[in-house]
Amino acid sequence: MINLLLDILTTAGILFIVSIGLLIVFGVQKIINFAHGAFLTIGGYVALLVTGAHFSPWLAPPVALLAGALIGAIVERVIVRPLYNRPLDAILATWGLSIVVVQLITIGFGRGVQFVTSPVSGAIHVFGADYSLYRLIFLGIAIVLGLAVGLLLRSTRLGLVARAVILNENLARSLGIDSDLVRFMTFVVGAGLASLAGALLTPLLSVDPTMGVTWLLNAFMLVMVSGTSLISLMLACVVLGGAQVVISTFGNPVLGGLTIVVLAAILLRLRPTGFARA
Amino acid sequence: MRSTVSLPSETRSSELIRLGCVCLAALGLVGIGPLCLGEYSVDILIRSFLFGAVAVTLDILWGYTGILSFGQSAFFAIGAYAGGLIFTHLGLTPLDAILAVGIGLIVASLLGALVGWLAFGYGVSDLYVSVATLVLCVVVVRILYAGGTFTGSSSGLSGFTTFDLSMPVWFALTGSFLVIVAALGWLLVHSDAGTLFVSIRENEQRARYFGLATGRIKIALFAAAAAIAALAGFGYASYTDVVAPDLANFKFGTAIVIWVALGGRATLLGPAIAAVLIDFISAYLSGSLPFIWELLVGVVFIAVIVVMPQGLGPGLARGVRSMLPLRSVAPSSAAQLSIASQPVITAQSDHGPSAIAVTALSRHYGSLRVLDDISFTAQAGELVSLVGPNGAGKTTLIRCISDGTERSGGDVAILGCSIGRLTPEYCARLGLGRKFQTPTVFEALTVAQSLRIARARIDPPSLWRRADTINLPQAALQVVQATGLAEQLANPVRSLSHGGKQALELAMVLAAEPRVLLLDEPTAGLTKAERRLIGGILVDLVARHRLCILLIEHDLDFVRQISSRIIVLHQGRIVLDGDVATVVGSELVRTIYAGEPQAIGAMT
Amino acid sequence: MSDIALEIDRLTSGYGQSMVLRDVSLKIQSGQVLAIVGKNGMGKTTLLKTIMGFLPAQSGRICMFGADVTGVQPHRLAGRGVAYSPQDQAIFPDFTVDENLRLGLSNDRGYERALDRVAVFFPFLAQRRGQRAGTLSGGEQKMLLVARALMSRPRLLLIDEITEGLQPSVVQRLIGVLRAELAAFDLSVLLIEQNVGFALSIADRYAVLARGEVVAAGRVDAPGVAGVIQNHLAV
Repeated sequence: MINLLLDILTTAGILFIVSIGLLIVFGVQKIINFAHGAFLTIGGYVALLVTGAHFSPWLAPPVALLAGALIGAIVERVIVRPLYNRPLDAILATWGLSIVVVQLITIGFGRGVQFVTSPVSGAIHVFGADYSLYRLIFLGIAIVLGLAVGLLLRSTRLGLVARAVILNENLARSLGIDSDLVRFMTFVVGAGLASLAGALLTPLLSVDPTMGVTWLLNAFMLVMVSGTSLISLMLACVVLGGAQVVISTFGNPVLGGLTIVVLAAILLRLRPTGFARA
Repeated sequence: MRSTVSLPSETRSSELIRLGCVCLAALGLVGIGPLCLGEYSVDILIRSFLFGAVAVTLDILWGYTGILSFGQSAFFAIGAYAGGLIFTHLGLTPLDAILAVGIGLIVASLLGALVGWLAFGYGVSDLYVSVATLVLCVVVVRILYAGGTFTGSSSGLSGFTTFDLSMPVWFALTGSFLVIVAALGWLLVHSDAGTLFVSIRENEQRARYFGLATGRIKIALFAAAAAIAALAGFGYASYTDVVAPDLANFKFGTAIVIWVALGGRATLLGPAIAAVLIDFISAYLSGSLPFIWELLVGVVFIAVIVVMPQGLGPGLARGVRSMLPLRSVAPSSAAQLSIASQPVITAQSDHGPSAIAVTALSRHYGSLRVLDDISFTAQAGELVSLVGPNGAGKTTLIRCISDGTERSGGDVAILGCSIGRLTPEYCARLGLGRKFQTPTVFEALTVAQSLRIARARIDPPSLWRRADTINLPQAALQVVQATGLAEQLANPVRSLSHGGKQALELAMVLAAEPRVLLLDEPTAGLTKAERRLIGGILVDLVARHRLCILLIEHDLDFVRQISSRIIVLHQGRIVLDGDVATVVGSELVRTIYAGEPQAIGAMT
Repeated sequence: MSDIALEIDRLTSGYGQSMVLRDVSLKIQSGQVLAIVGKNGMGKTTLLKTIMGFLPAQSGRICMFGADVTGVQPHRLAGRGVAYSPQDQAIFPDFTVDENLRLGLSNDRGYERALDRVAVFFPFLAQRRGQRAGTLSGGEQKMLLVARALMSRPRLLLIDEITEGLQPSVVQRLIGVLRAELAAFDLSVLLIEQNVGFALSIADRYAVLARGEVVAAGRVDAPGVAGVIQNHLAV
């Protein structure tokens, strides 16, 4: 029972870290970054490179964050900016980008599945159960990250400006806010967070050129049902992630893998605002 | 009494003759192809033709109707697996083949309808269908993986007995399939139904307010496209003798999207050619340059989306046309306008239920109350003006009357029928017509096509023909003729002035023969003469045809001249409801428009 | 330093192919108030949107304080001392009063001082800093809007229909505030109004806009101005 509960919480934490970058970009840019999965894959391969060069595995996530942000900055300027007024085309172009990234990684690293060394291993004893230490650390990182982003949005000038652009871009511009810069910054942060998520995931999962795609779909659905609210995203991760864990444990793992996308698709049909307040 | 407004136009028959020639030429190529091409090329092209047909279906969905689907691959796979499974587990009698085709078509179209039902509900985001189709791909692949020996799991099924036909026959079969799909597609998009698809892409909301159930139309189209993709998939399985879960993959789904984007959206021929060419070249190059080729396609795809969203096809076609001394294609034909037989309005409508009955209506956004406790009725034969300062809630009130999902509380009845929670298209079917504040039109259509769409609920469009007359009720025809639209029937709406678009939208709304008209600033942007004319038409509609009109207008002069009653809205409440003299003389109105003596002055 | 706050020279602008403004020329001397009156749909809001850079000018020139700002991005104008008070969706209803006011300044330094200054005119703002702006009354929201525009001590203030739907007492209060600010520092104002009484009570000059063109203009203290404007509006 404790194990199941911890599974639900840590799964929610993983989903949250994977989705938060996408949520931030969607909130400000009003476009879905379909290259989110590609940035996640990049993060995974950065971790592979860092550990392959015998640096500490702890170094992988920050390096991935930087690499993702840097690539994100270039992508924003070259591909995303010209498509501000064509959101559907932005989906296609970022989707095309993810194809290119997958091909580049395939050329560079091969098609095969590879493994990254974990910074910690083994289980610890919590609440009368043995549980993977890394998953618990992951949960901790998710909570810290959620609080940090929430605090940034709520309590800083930068957050105020970003929220102003989210709610009414024209008004924000007339008040002297450079919304293009805000869009740029959010895309960079979103891409960086996606890569960070990819690097953090590597000790749990293998790395391969298409690892981002399944995550992209889950993240995408979670963002669709959350609107632009961090709290809603947390709720969606716990509820849908929980359903996934329950169905995988007691039902069929194949069905379990589809839980989030299918439940979210049905939820959106019945209640287009999803978990966001109407 | 027939109006004789007509324009020189390319006739339908000459278009059909050209289509026939192109088809015959294409079929001829398909016939002689195997004689000129190497065996490997023929082998690949047989497959490419099937992909080309799927690209055509996606172009109709995405290019013409605006439905971006990544899921045509899933439907293709369903058709392929229907063949593979039946041939593997049952055999290859004619009955089995028919069973396989039938199952493929039925499963694909049912699944398509289900996805459509999920994606095209009222208020569901346009993005949703793209998401739902990606999910569909993942779900289908997972199911195929989970099927064990029945579906062959990850390696799929192969080596089943299939039709024993020679390569040239296969080539002719699949080539003809592509030609037929493309030709039928051409007929469809050049029919009145095709115009309807474009109107949905351009402005679905406007189409809904004409009473068109756009959601159902999109579901039907989506299911039909799914069925054709499944048919192509069945052909693929029968020819290659192999089916694998990868067929359903979103990666293949994306490839189809790329073909359409590169070939040129909404050109039909472009996507078909792009699909065949790219797949053909891929097959050659993927051996020598496996990943580089896909990388290249990806890069070109991004570049095309960013730099030339209309695709490579139209650009190339322009280049070719400028080099060849081809005659320029005549503009798409306009139509003759004629007067529709007006339904006889019986006098009882005056004694029947109120045209509009609003009871205790409220609308709030969170804690913000935009409308509060609004109650009024309006009868047939009344022209009621709604006035009040900006932000008083006038447009919100119109929205709540014409869309049952909008209001927070209270009730609205149109001609005695409560609108309940009905979406706009069903409210419109109760006899409502709504003109929006800013001109809401179909930018990419011509004036004539727009009027035809406005009539689509009354004169249902044909799936393969283009009507050459448009029946318009007298009032709509009057607006069209008096505002000069009659001379611009073949012009794209995009080229009209602001005033022209206003007049067109009004004409479209009138063309749908509403009994209750909701007009939000119908004369903004029109010249004085046009305003007078529209005022006259509105008064005439009320007096002679017993319509009920609810009008928002800032021009108080105009209001005074044409209204039979004025309702004053202020901060979300009705503060005054009375005849023109009462409202104009009211001290209360003076206070609301405080400091605006000129406004009241103009009214007295 | 030029003593002309805003100069518009033969400006033509509109949406797509339909031109809403034709050859509009206007000038505001530094420290003065120009009121543009006209009925709805005559191009008044289009004029402000073009000045602010939200709509591209098809032809013509816009200068502020001697510098050509035609085609300058909206957000850059705030840095030049321009404050814009739009007609619709002018505040962030989901933000607190405090957050709305903070956005009136380019950074948080000097916020308390600026707040103290505007709170002299609108004391309720200082008392209800944590309240969501959307829950303020209509009049209070308009006052918040004016307060936010004044936070940064702008040199040029563009106000679109501030009196629409306001009670006379609030209109009087706004007249007082604007007069005080005009007297206190070097402020120029472009006022778009339907409320002729309000416009005439604080403007130095007026211009009447009809169908996208300036059809009349002059000083408000000229004899019979009210009648002239009346006539143009009644047409």
